[in-house]
Amino acid sequence: MALASVIGVGIIPFGKHREKTIIDMGAKAGYLALKDAGIDPSKIEAGFFANGLAGRLFGDNTIGQNVFWELGINKIPIVNVENACTSGSSAFYLAYNMVAANQVEIAMVIGAEKMCVPELGLINSGETELDTQLGLIAPASFAMRAIRYMNEFDCAPKQIAQIAVKNRNHAQLNPHAQFQVPISLDEVMNSPMIADPLTRFQCCPIADGAAAVIICSKNIAKQISRSVNIDSAVLCTGGYGNNQDMVLWETDTRGCNLAYEKAGIGPKDIDVIECHDAFTISEILHYEALGLCEPGQGIRFLEEGHSQLGGKKPVNVSGGLLSRGHPVGATGVAQIYEIVTQLRNEGGPRQVKDAKVGLAHCMGGDKSGDTKSCTVAILSV
Amino acid sequence: MDFETDNEILPFAKNIFTQPPYKNNQPSLLGGFCSDCNDYFFPEPGYCPECLGKIQNRPIGSKGTIYSFTVVRTPTLFGLPSPYGIGYIDLMETGLRVFGMFDPKEIGQLKIGAKVVLSVKSLGKDRHGSPRLRPCFTLEPDNLNRSI
Repeated sequence: MALASVIGVGIIPFGKHREKTIIDMGAKAGYLALKDAGIDPSKIEAGFFANGLAGRLFGDNTIGQNVFWELGINKIPIVNVENACTSGSSAFYLAYNMVAANQVEIAMVIGAEKMCVPELGLINSGETELDTQLGLIAPASFAMRAIRYMNEFDCAPKQIAQIAVKNRNHAQLNPHAQFQVPISLDEVMNSPMIADPLTRFQCCPIADGAAAVIICSKNIAKQISRSVNIDSAVLCTGGYGNNQDMVLWETDTRGCNLAYEKAGIGPKDIDVIECHDAFTISEILHYEALGLCEPGQGIRFLEEGHSQLGGKKPVNVSGGLLSRGHPVGATGVAQIYEIVTQLRNEGGPRQVKDAKVGLAHCMGGDKSGDTKSCTVAILSV
Repeated sequence: MDFETDNEILPFAKNIFTQPPYKNNQPSLLGGFCSDCNDYFFPEPGYCPECLGKIQNRPIGSKGTIYSFTVVRTPTLFGLPSPYGIGYIDLMETGLRVFGMFDPKEIGQLKIGAKVVLSVKSLGKDRHGSPRLRPCFTLEPDNLNRSI
């Protein structure tokens, strides 16, 4: 039995928002979620604000309270959440737990990021981490997984690159996506090489954006139409085992299995998936960790069309991180927005037929050849 | 063995690799060892992650095979050369899978399973623009392409 529900969602289009501040963007998404839920801001009892980079880029630490006050929300407990790319989904996890534990009846999550600025530089895990000092940047860790994957399962770089084509095709149908124009495999392969074998279009673009979600208790959800059940929401940390298998991803698999276990279902029950396609190879690996196919069968699963809109397990019909864009703090919340929209049958041209159970999966951070954080949430109607 | 030691160039960080004079002319990576758990860790942790016990600083290896690699072709951090090669190396001596750099001159010849040996080279700069020594792995001679 689900312990909490989503009753409102909001999102702003992802892209370059040079004239907007984090507060503008976060408040707009929050405003839309409040209107969607049809509830007054005074009813929100806890707030979680997700953001990855504002402290580093602008000195804007502790800015969640500013975002919520823009909506007239003050006095309640508010926490600023940073967990790399899982900032948004970690904020969702915390809000879910607070409601599920009966500490509050209604909690709100806003994720926002402003990162399209010249001072951004290369995304890495920080100077304190030894691996960063030896040259590890975010695309490189996935590039090494791709090299190993191709070695173990005998496939070619362009087969992995097809993920970028698929997700662009999906994004044509998503008005919130940063990049909505289809792209050919040739264009993907001919874009500049970032870290062998990942070319630029195989890496998620930076973007500005915001999304918001309102979670409430089962009692309140009964009174509100279009509510969506949260069957499970889990957060795992890396195991950092040595030797770390960079193809059979223990942390990824562990996170997915825990979410299934808590929801009491399995991969066969899932109708629609948003997963962390920060890089093309990421989505292939996540098919396998999610149990959508056997290890080593991810390319075949893709090439047989199963993860396309219209296939048996549509993945990233929103366009994913690759095409919707990846404003770090907003992504995890945007994934929930998409799953809720699908389960409410409001996806329009990108609607997955008869979607009743959805899954949102995200990852963040690099450490010891592993991820630092992995989140998985399962929702249903 | 090919490595650079210049008394003027400092290591990029402490306790990551041995300092000269080198036994058998060969530098080694340094990590942590817990004698209660009989386990090695890299980099050296403050406490044993398994038993919270005291950690000794120990050499963990200087030879290994490539588990995976990539070549980074973006503008670089820390003044590292562009492009540069990085990867995971399975150390022969302790079995640890460690992240490391490769010799920038050999990035075109990296292969999974290739045998590599640790070297120390001036790679990258610190905040003040001074060069720093970094560990990097070079291909064993029989792994290099002789036909070029």
